[in-house]
Amino acid sequence: MSEQELAELRHALLNAPESGVTQAIAILFSLMLIVAVLWLVKRRKLREEYTPIWLGVALAVFAVTVELDLLRVITRMIGAWTPSSTIFFLGELFLVVICLNYAVRLSRMSVQMKSLAQEVALLRAGRESGARFSGEADA
Amino acid sequence: MTKRLILIPAWNEEANLPGVLKSVAREAEGFDVLVVDDGSGDATSRIAVENGVQAIRHPFNLGYGASLQTGYKYALRHGVELVVQMDADGQHRAEDVTRLCEPVLEDRLDLVIGSRFLEPTDYEFGAIRGTGRSLFGGIARYFGLRITDPTSGFQALNRKVLRLYSGESFPSDFPDVDVLLAAHRAGIRIGEVSVEMREAPRTSTLHSGLRPIYYVYKMLLSIWANAERPEPPRDG
Repeated sequence: MSEQELAELRHALLNAPESGVTQAIAILFSLMLIVAVLWLVKRRKLREEYTPIWLGVALAVFAVTVELDLLRVITRMIGAWTPSSTIFFLGELFLVVICLNYAVRLSRMSVQMKSLAQEVALLRAGRESGARFSGEADA
Repeated sequence: MTKRLILIPAWNEEANLPGVLKSVAREAEGFDVLVVDDGSGDATSRIAVENGVQAIRHPFNLGYGASLQTGYKYALRHGVELVVQMDADGQHRAEDVTRLCEPVLEDRLDLVIGSRFLEPTDYEFGAIRGTGRSLFGGIARYFGLRITDPTSGFQALNRKVLRLYSGESFPSDFPDVDVLLAAHRAGIRIGEVSVEMREAPRTSTLHSGLRPIYYVYKMLLSIWANAERPEPPRDG
């Protein structure tokens, strides 16, 4: 296939009329994600500080679904051939970023947990040895 | 006599804390003082101990709200009946502590907020924070809570409030108008007393970068979630 034909094919794929069903599913997904996040916050299953990233994703999906030209612009920018591959690429990118973010949080929490356990152990040891030395343990 | 406690959450406040503790010792007689050091990297808790006050040190930074809650739990365990919380940066004046406590001691209110705006004032808030104050004041009014200074951390609280605030839902970061509205909803009697405040040092991370935007977002979400939850049981 010549370069000319490839360029025409890419142009055709990029400008193919959007499927109404796909668009509806994407809008439904983003709305369901927003509702799920709000429901989890309301039920105290998700703390407010963890919501911006999920609401951000839901709003981004909603925005590119409603405004498909935006998705096409991004597709051209990153050199992809179809808007759907752009969605997959961005989705994977998001998953990598969020996994990294949670890995950082987990690392911080494991350090904090260790400090906390050590503090408790030291406090307990201090109380027990203090009681023993002063003879209160036998009292 | 009512057991009273001044609660000072502090994070890296070695520069301001000595002055605050001296003014508290001078102006607020009859109060025990507790400094909750939120995992400072400086000498905050040592300064507290050297000034003869009780200090609790978090092993790492947990946030302003978590520091307050540590103090509330301490107060509950030690039979404290009245807590006055004030910032360690010197913004709140110990001279106002007695007036702040009066409505609680007379059992007219459960929670008293020291307000900068109850009376005409020259206090400068800046455009963004001023807008935030108007927005959250308006939201509070919508829910039936009339307060002029919804972001003031200078407050006096009785045990009823301490019990409510010791729950799991109390935020670790910034407990402001969202917790006030939750308290209002739980039947806590809230009012204000006019106080003067000094300008806060501009070192607070709350006022830098994207934090103000996140603050507004988080407050709105938290207020909405509180309003949507079932009515809490009222503590008589």
